[in-house]
Amino acid sequence: MSAQKDCDFLVKRARELVSDDPCAAKAWLITARTLYPADFNIQYEMYIIERNAERTASAGRLLYDMFINFPDQPIVWREINVITAALRSDSQDKHAQFLRGLFETLPGRVQCEMLLKATEQCFNTLEKAEMLLLLLKRFPESVVQHGVNLGETLLDAEVSENVETPVNCFRKLFVCDVLPLVINNMDMRLPASLMQKYMLKAAEFYIGYVTRGPSPDVQIQGSQEGGSLKSTAVSRGSQRYVIDGLSEKSSVVAEPWERLLDILAVVGARCEWQGDKGQRSYVDMLQRVKELCRYLPSLEGDTRSRCCSQVVICAALVLFRSAFLYVSAVQPALFQGVNTLSSGPWILVEDLSSVYNDVEGERGAVKHAHKKRKLADGREKTMSSDDEEGLGKGRGRHILVNKTDMPSWSETLESFRTARESWDLLHSHDGLETEFKKICASWKTDNWLWFRIFLSDMIIYQGQYRKALSSLHQMAAVQQPQPGQQSPSGQGSLEHHRALIQQASCHYALGEYRMACEKLLDVVGGLVPPSQEPTKSPEDHGRVKNKTRKGNDLRLLPCTSKAVLPFCLQLMLACFKLRAFTDSHDDLSLGHVVVLLQHDWPQGEMLFLKTVEKICQQGSFQYENFFNYVTNIDMLEEFAYLRTPEGGRIQLELLPNQGMLIKNPSPVLGVELNTLLLQGVQTMDRHHTVTRGITKGVKEDFRLAMERQVSRCGENLYSVLHRFCINEKIIIIQSLP
Amino acid sequence: MGDIRQSLLPRDVLSAAKELLYHLDIYICNLVQSGRQPPQVDSKTQELVEEFILHAPKDRNTPARRMSALQELQLLEIMCSCFQEQSRDTVRQLMFSALFSLQGNQADESRMALLGKLVSMAIAVGRVPILECAATWLQRTHRVYCVRLAQVLVDDYCSMVPGSVPTLQNIHSASPRFCCQFITAVTTLYDLTTEELTPPLELLQMIVSWIQDDPRLVLITFLNTPLSGNQPISSLDVTPLGGLVRWCVKAPLAYRRDKKQALTNGTTESKPEVGPLFSALHLSLLQVLMLLPNILNEKGLYGRLALLQMESLAALTSDLSRLLDQADKHTHASSADTRALSQLVLDRLAQALQVAMANGALLCSREDLRAICSRLPHNNLLQLVLSGPVMYYNNIHTPPLAFSPHAAHSPIASHPTHPTHPTHPAHPGHTPLATHASSHPQYPAQPFMTGMPFPFRPSH
Repeated sequence: MSAQKDCDFLVKRARELVSDDPCAAKAWLITARTLYPADFNIQYEMYIIERNAERTASAGRLLYDMFINFPDQPIVWREINVITAALRSDSQDKHAQFLRGLFETLPGRVQCEMLLKATEQCFNTLEKAEMLLLLLKRFPESVVQHGVNLGETLLDAEVSENVETPVNCFRKLFVCDVLPLVINNMDMRLPASLMQKYMLKAAEFYIGYVTRGPSPDVQIQGSQEGGSLKSTAVSRGSQRYVIDGLSEKSSVVAEPWERLLDILAVVGARCEWQGDKGQRSYVDMLQRVKELCRYLPSLEGDTRSRCCSQVVICAALVLFRSAFLYVSAVQPALFQGVNTLSSGPWILVEDLSSVYNDVEGERGAVKHAHKKRKLADGREKTMSSDDEEGLGKGRGRHILVNKTDMPSWSETLESFRTARESWDLLHSHDGLETEFKKICASWKTDNWLWFRIFLSDMIIYQGQYRKALSSLHQMAAVQQPQPGQQSPSGQGSLEHHRALIQQASCHYALGEYRMACEKLLDVVGGLVPPSQEPTKSPEDHGRVKNKTRKGNDLRLLPCTSKAVLPFCLQLMLACFKLRAFTDSHDDLSLGHVVVLLQHDWPQGEMLFLKTVEKICQQGSFQYENFFNYVTNIDMLEEFAYLRTPEGGRIQLELLPNQGMLIKNPSPVLGVELNTLLLQGVQTMDRHHTVTRGITKGVKEDFRLAMERQVSRCGENLYSVLHRFCINEKIIIIQSLP
Repeated sequence: MGDIRQSLLPRDVLSAAKELLYHLDIYICNLVQSGRQPPQVDSKTQELVEEFILHAPKDRNTPARRMSALQELQLLEIMCSCFQEQSRDTVRQLMFSALFSLQGNQADESRMALLGKLVSMAIAVGRVPILECAATWLQRTHRVYCVRLAQVLVDDYCSMVPGSVPTLQNIHSASPRFCCQFITAVTTLYDLTTEELTPPLELLQMIVSWIQDDPRLVLITFLNTPLSGNQPISSLDVTPLGGLVRWCVKAPLAYRRDKKQALTNGTTESKPEVGPLFSALHLSLLQVLMLLPNILNEKGLYGRLALLQMESLAALTSDLSRLLDQADKHTHASSADTRALSQLVLDRLAQALQVAMANGALLCSREDLRAICSRLPHNNLLQLVLSGPVMYYNNIHTPPLAFSPHAAHSPIASHPTHPTHPTHPAHPGHTPLATHASSHPQYPAQPFMTGMPFPFRPSH
């Protein structure tokens, strides 16, 4: 009792002095401690003075004394918890740094004991794990005892805490911190099955991390900034990402693919996998397992299953990485941290740059490449309902891409190729496929939108369009349950367009032109026509001219109005082309072809001449929309000529029922055209007034319409064609079977 | 060597001194090589030194030869390089002794004068070997002369040339041994009894910063000296601990006197407060004391060697009781300020006694302490220390709180103030080196019953 009073008195005096004369306060406490060495409050007060003054060495010494002499004092434990919390945190503030420094002054043995005891007192799984991890990192010998247990605790926590994604705080700790310690500790013998289980846990985490989507709140912020696509992209590049339960800094995983490769190398070495120990790169790895695969059938028992695991794990990792690289190039907005500034989404579609080629030539090519079937209506239709057939067709297809728009085109295509090869490898043996499917099932890859995008593109590449269509529909289903992902900035509609265009392309390839056009016209309705015709890069021209296209190449098309509208026009042309030039009389299709041929003029000159030829053969041509949508001067000239006797006096019914009248030659027309037009009127006057029952008014109407049309030559062709698509949507669709 | 006198006589003073130094060097080298134990410079040589280097009059009839100031400076330079260039410690040490060991004759005054100049110069130009020799000299020489040398250095560096303090400051890194001895000498010199014997502020600041930077500095001599018991009589203490205790305890009273004088003189110098300096010094002192148990145990001296002397503490307490009494009388109203300062004095005394006792620097019982403190005014902490901790505070971790007079080892006297006790060199072992009464009968003890509640227990 009296002793306690003495101690209280001494501590009280020290406290009174500490602010004015800290030296005196310390002198009091030193004295007090020699009087009552077993009193905790005196030592704690000494410690507090040093700690508050942030004197690392002396505070550390006193903490050590307290830890040794008063191991059961709750205050000591509170203090130790503060310090271990600072060790776990990445805070850079001065006090946290002091506390970390304080811990460092303690002898290793005490650090170890302190961490272990602190861990025991901790009830929060994450904190407990972090604490134990501090211990394992500092004292490698403790890994043997605690490593695997800690790992299993973390994996159990994932289950018990019902976390939704593999990218969670427990997994992060397990994969990035615990696992390297465990697998690199040569004093431990782990069964291969456990190693592989851990390997897959790591892979799932890293893949999930790399392919994580942008967080929705930031996206909204981005859309508020400007609404344009680009500003969203800019803000996304710099946005921050936090794994629930972790700090921002510890949520960052640097070089995830490299880390995964590191783990794979260690696991491979410890599981006695074939091939050299250090896995140099993912590409090397694929080559190695490819070779390994050849021996697979000759292996038996354990060797076979070990080999199987190696092939499946390695090939799967190469597949997911390459597929990610490909998708991050064609759909960068899906991922956080991928630079979306450079390019928007890209769509893998049929290449239509050969659409202006001669129908016969193309038919030949189509015949050669596709098996075709003569249908009842005599129309030729490409078919690939059979998957086997499609697969055979898919080999060695070219994918065209504008190299200036996509500077990384070769890497992107290479990734696409590598991913396909890995996929093929994984499906080359039943054993491999079963194993791979197990992985996919446990990772729920069916829900990975990005992977579905790759798969769809791969199936398109393989020419399995029917399958591709169902995959694209499935993708829409995956997309739907995440309304949060749909940003109001137009990103959603662009994504939507992307799917529609790809579907249209598939329908086209299947010969389902009506469906193709239906999808396309939905897209076109939402587009804003580009104000200028695109200046074609010389390279594009070059390719089209120099190469004889087989007609089954693919193209990566930028998902922008500027690129999409021309593609839609080409695709529509392709749909109508075959129909227009059949033996049957289909003026409507022919008219549509004429309208569509205006785009990219004079690319389609040859086809236009063919059209004219057909009209001449028919002797007549009826297309009431002509003057609404044909503004090309060359075409107008040609049609004006067709009516002349020299042109063959073709009966042209190009006007809607009600026409307009103008009296005089228009001064805006060139002399040549005026002459042509007047000539036509005169000859009509002379020879056909009675026989054809066409009034002079009608002739005048034609002349006047022509004049008016010529004055429209300067109109933005895209606006005209855009209008065509929107206004004539129903007719266009109906005119296709 | 005696025959060189004839060759020295015709020479001028400087070249004669130079020549003699040269011969001395050769002579001592031969002496060391001959292996004679102990190597000692004969009296003939001593005489030559006194005649040609110190220029002490040989007898009443011959007038002393004098050197001009310039010649003296040149001689000092020569001596400096002579010590600097001598690579063998023994030779250098013997040479230094031959020149500066006090002989108890007339030449000693010249010796002291030249020594003061040489050491001062060595500090200025950083001649470490000379400082090391001087450190040894300070250990072997009577404290009166040590204090004189310290006085010279303080005058040179702290009083005469302003701004030269940093030069002196460097000696703690150049020669810690010298620095330690210097501190001991200075704390012996300035006993705070008068204004003259109060350390200049610059000196105080320097010492505080030295000890704060490295508390072990004050133990350097003790750590480096094999304690053989043949400490020269009346030499300086082996550590400055006693002097430092006196400084810290008395400072509040001494500087209060200063302040009062400054007020009466009307001079209001804006000097920095010494209060915080002494507070820091006092803390450093306690921290040094805390280092002692390990050191003493390593040397096998724990409980056997008192680094603080009961006698000097007794002197301090009686001094204090007088001063406190005076202070009380002079300030009639016994102002709060005076009371606070008195309490600070007693707090520090109590702290120093307690910590010293607990760490084996002071070998006595609490009863002994009560005896020497009996005349002091009341102070809570002092009462607590005198009565000791309440013992039923049970804890197994409790180490021995203080030296027990009934311990197996008998104390030894580290301090050569009892010339009557013969000392046994070289064999400390378990043999008691000195019989030292466990209690001090010379101090009248108050009746004190250990089991009884202490009447002056601090009123919390």
